[in-house]
This record gives sequence, C-alpha cells and structure tokens, in this order.
Amino acid sequence: MGFLDNSGDIILDAVLTEAGRRRMAQGSFRIVKFALGDDEIDYSLYNKNHPSGSAYYDLEILQTPIFEAFTQVNAGINYGLLSTTATDLLYLPSIKTNEKSQMASKTLAIRSSGSSGLFLLTDSSNDTSTTSISSVLDADSIESIDGFAPQTAVLVETGLDTGVGQIPAGSDSNRQSLLVSNGLIDNKLIISYDSRFISGIKGLDSQSSVANNATSNQINASLSLTDGTRTNINSGLENYNTINVVGIKNSIAQTTSPNTEADFSSISGPRGVMAAVAPVIKQGLDAEYSLYGGTSTVGATAVKFIDTTIYVQGSTSNTQLQIPFRILKLS
Amino acid sequence: MAITSYERLDTTNDITTTRTLLHESIPLTGTIVSGTYGTFPDDNNIKNYTHEQFQSVYDYPFLSSSANHIYDLSIGFDEASPMSGSVSIVQESKKINMYNQMSQVLLGYTGSANDVRKFEIDTTLDGSGIMRESLFINFARLITKDQIKKGTVTVTLGTGSWATPFALTRTLTDASASATEGTANTLGGDYGVLYDSDSDNLAYGVVFYQAGLIALSTASFGTITDFFSNSAGTKSVLNTFVSCSITASTDAFRHRVQNISFNNTTEINSSIYFCRVPHNKYNHSANPTYLSSSTIRVKSVNSDQPISYITTIGLYSSDNELLAVAKLSEPLRKDPTNELTLRVRLDY
Repeated sequence: MGFLDNSGDIILDAVLTEAGRRRMAQGSFRIVKFALGDDEIDYSLYNKNHPSGSAYYDLEILQTPIFEAFTQVNAGINYGLLSTTATDLLYLPSIKTNEKSQMASKTLAIRSSGSSGLFLLTDSSNDTSTTSISSVLDADSIESIDGFAPQTAVLVETGLDTGVGQIPAGSDSNRQSLLVSNGLIDNKLIISYDSRFISGIKGLDSQSSVANNATSNQINASLSLTDGTRTNINSGLENYNTINVVGIKNSIAQTTSPNTEADFSSISGPRGVMAAVAPVIKQGLDAEYSLYGGTSTVGATAVKFIDTTIYVQGSTSNTQLQIPFRILKLS
Repeated sequence: MAITSYERLDTTNDITTTRTLLHESIPLTGTIVSGTYGTFPDDNNIKNYTHEQFQSVYDYPFLSSSANHIYDLSIGFDEASPMSGSVSIVQESKKINMYNQMSQVLLGYTGSANDVRKFEIDTTLDGSGIMRESLFINFARLITKDQIKKGTVTVTLGTGSWATPFALTRTLTDASASATEGTANTLGGDYGVLYDSDSDNLAYGVVFYQAGLIALSTASFGTITDFFSNSAGTKSVLNTFVSCSITASTDAFRHRVQNISFNNTTEINSSIYFCRVPHNKYNHSANPTYLSSSTIRVKSVNSDQPISYITTIGLYSSDNELLAVAKLSEPLRKDPTNELTLRVRLDY
C-alpha cells in the first residue's frame, strides 16, 4: 500500500474494486452515484491558533500523504463527507455507550466487563443441569446478555457531548434548536454485525421511552426489546449484515435541584436518541470457537470465547461507534 | 461502514466514454535472436518443438520464469510452388500446411471451389505478385498488444555471406501504409506491403497489423547462395526450403535478422465520470476526528465556514455497492465558497 506522488499536479488514481470486477464479469456494472471520503485526514491537525494566520490553519492537513486506491470494498470510504447543506452548524452529534450504574440497575442496560471494555454475550449450548455460563458470570458479578434470548442490552445514546458544565447545556430547548431543527436526530441506527456468529439484533421498540425526574432523582424508563429490521444497506465489511434499530427520543435532560442528567446519561449536553443493541447469537456455534476464538477462565471455570465487533451508525448524522462483544460458553 | 450521503450522477451529462490509442515503440534487435543467449543455433532463448512446425523466440532463456515470448518463426510454401512435389523435399506437408494455415486464416478462400487465397506482395489480391514461398514472423500478443501501428514497421535483413550476413543489408518498411491509406482489408484484418526502402522500392513481404504477422518473400534474400551453411555445404534460400527442416530453415533465417521494429497499439476505452460537488454540500465530515467534544474542530463560531478535505471518491451502484475508488494525490479543500468537478476516468 504505497502513497501517491504528491509532488506535482493533483492526480486521480482510480481502480475497480473486487465488487466492481465481479459486476463487470456478471455484466451488471453500472455506476449511478458517488460519495466522497476523507479517511486519511486527521482534523485535530487543524490549528486555529497558528501564529502565521488563517492561511496556515490547515497547512498540516493539506500535506497529508494519501494512500493509493485499495481494491477491497471495506477499505474504500469508511466515514464519508456529509451532504448536509447547513453552514451554521457548530456541533454535530456523537454516539456513546451508556454504562451508567443507575441505568444498569434500573433498566435493561448492561455494562462492559472490567477493564477490557468487552460486552459479554452468553452461549448456553454447553450448559449442564448443574452449571450454566450465566451463573458462572453472575458469581463474579459480571453483567451479560443472554445470547439466545436477550432480555438485556447495550444502550447507546447520541447527542452533543460538549462536557459537563459546558455550553450548550443538555436542555430540551437546546435539543430542539441544535439537533431537531438541524435534522440531526437519528430515528434509526444502522447496526452492522458479523453474520458468522450473530443471527440478528434486537433493539428498542418504538413505544419505549426514557426521561429523568429531578425531584426524586429517578429514571422514568420503559424500555423493551424487539427484533431490528433487516436492511440491504451494504456495510462494506465482509461477512457483515446490517439491521436497523429504532432510536427513541432521549428525554434525559438538564434538571434543577438536583441536576440528575449525569446520573443517567453518558452524553453531557443536548441529547438526541437512545437505542439498544442486543445481539442474538447463531445457534450451533461450535467449531467457530476454535477457528475464530480462544479459551479462557471465568473464576475457576474454563470457557470458550469468540470476540466480534458490532458497528453502530446514525442513519442521519452518520456518527459511528464500534462496540466490542465477547461470546462466551462453557468449555 | 455504510455510506449514507451520495450524489447521483446524471447519466446524460455526467458520464461519457472515450477511446484512446496508446503506442509503444518496440525495437527487437537481431542479437536477441542470434547470439545473446548461448551459441547459435542452440541459443537458450530459442525454443524448438518436437513437432518442428515453428520455433519460438524469447527475450531471455525460456526456461526462466522471467522470459517473455516475443515471436515465432516458421516457413511454408504453396501447393502450387515449383518446389512442391520435389522428390527430396523435407517436411513437405508441414511446410504446405503452415502456408495454408496462415493464408486461410488471414486471407480466407476464394471462388466456388473455395481455394485458399495466396499471399501477394501488393494490396489488390488479384492473383498477381503471389508469394508462393514465405518466411513467417508471428509476433506475440504481449508485444503487439491490440495491433501494430500502420506505417511504423521496419525489418532489416542481412543479405551478405553466411560468415558476415550483415555486411550487406536490406531494410523493408511499410512507410506507404497509414491509418487512412496504403493497406488492404482482409479476413485477418488490414495488411500493408513491405518495400525495400533503399533500392528500387520493390515489395518483399506483407505485414498484417491486427494479426501481428509478417510474411516475407524468399526474394528478400535475393540470389545469395549461402543463405544456409553447415559442414555439408551451403544452400540458397529456395534450396534451404527444399532440403532443410522448418527448424533448420528458421535457424538460418534468424541468422540474418538484424533488426525489427514497430510501434504497437493499445486501445484504451475509458468511461469518464464528472463528479460535481455542489458548493453547499459535503462541507462536513463523519470522520471521527472532525469533532472534539461534539464541536466541529474547523470552526470557532457558528458563522465560520465549515471545511472538509476530500481524499477519496467512491463510485457506487444503485444498491450502494462500491464499484470503483479514486484517490486524489493530495487533500482537496472543500467549503461553501467552492464548487468542484472531479473528473474520474476508468480505463478498460
């Protein structure tokens, strides 16, 4: 993977992807649209405080060397430029997992396991009458999702995560003016998952709701899971399928006396939507554990595991998050 | 990851096709065919076959995986040639078959009896100027590519003695041929005539441009008496055709090839996609580094212009499959004050 010669005129290096070559062989090669990418750019190099003035703000960015074109589909454009026409935006939504203890104790949310940051999925296919993978994890107070019949999930939130005490505050009026009015509410989230290990994704049903109550420092949440909607969106990742899950209005907001927003939300600012990701693992996973996974122990119990990543993407804002999962079963 | 922001291409105004002819100069020096690798006639880059119908010339010892096939050499004569039916002729049927194979593919058949046409050293195919005995040079597709460029062929042959073949030379060219005139069209494509550039402009062979084949008349070597030589004696070119195998005859021919050169042609068909980026779109990015605490890094206040930097253009099918990728050699700044047209060319 070389860099392109950038010593002279701007040139375009174009190649057919594997999919393009396959389509050409099939006689169905037809290009009808384009998208733009900037994967190589590190915008943190934009220096608004450059002593030589604004002409030098993007000096380092413009000197970024660009890779040659790849032929793999997934290495084409991973993020992309946005077609939003607004020019007065100062903020764009971020996406984060919600691992607040209050949410874990009072809703269906689970938290990641220890320092590894992995969310655990249990495969009960090797459970016995005396030992189950769930009980082994429970004994160590490790939270997990039942891989065959999820009742719990990883909660994700979108919003303007500007920081505690920073502007804009996480008020409902800011949600309306900065997110809703600018079309930055992700009513759906696109979930990409490895179909070799996972058969589907459950998300929140559209009747779910979530809000905080300042006076009693309580979360008013009614969250229930339902199957996500299959899509034909191409994730660009080999073996990955995509599903849409619903993003419900995140009504957790800044409150007074006391302000409870930080107890229930991982977004510090105006919040967009909340969604759940509860993977359903494939039945009959066995050889896959030795092919793609490994072995470990939980307490004194030997287990097998497969690690996989689930990608979550806002359908409107395009904000993205990778969630690492570990599928566990008794050895 | 899934891309959600696309710009549609107008199939009428944004997509066009072009055809470009690319030419390369191909000089094939005579030392390649005799003397560079090993000792003539057993050069390591010359491959002979047990069927003895032709021999192949490589640019390097052919047992090496680095070797490239350059051309094949063979000889043949027409059934109506005076030498046909000679009592002592060697490999008569093979030589006739080689001639017929070349002529039937390149010229086809004529008349109600479906007689195989004969090579002629003119562009009229009227039965005059027939080359009944021919030496063939079949170039590999690797070097001729789509076709030989008309008017660029030069063949220099040694017409001196066996010991010093290049003391006298004859240079044949197709200088009278061009893309618009000086060629004839046959089943095997266009062909032009190879004339002696030095003397009286006599024709000594033909070149088939698309097929990549040169057929030379035995008259190219005039009346030299030692076209072939070994310990048993010398032979004229016609006597060589009669009493030597095809392999031995092509060895003698190789001994007298001083230079061959031409320009090849590669036809490149291109689709050009004009990717028009409007001024008011694609000024923001989903790149994770674009935000710091959800704040756009390139702005300080709302009224600042949003800026993005384009490095990649993805071309997609209607079902969002990425079919082609184009990369810019340096980031291209995009903000609401500029509108870009990126011209992406795909060659086939």
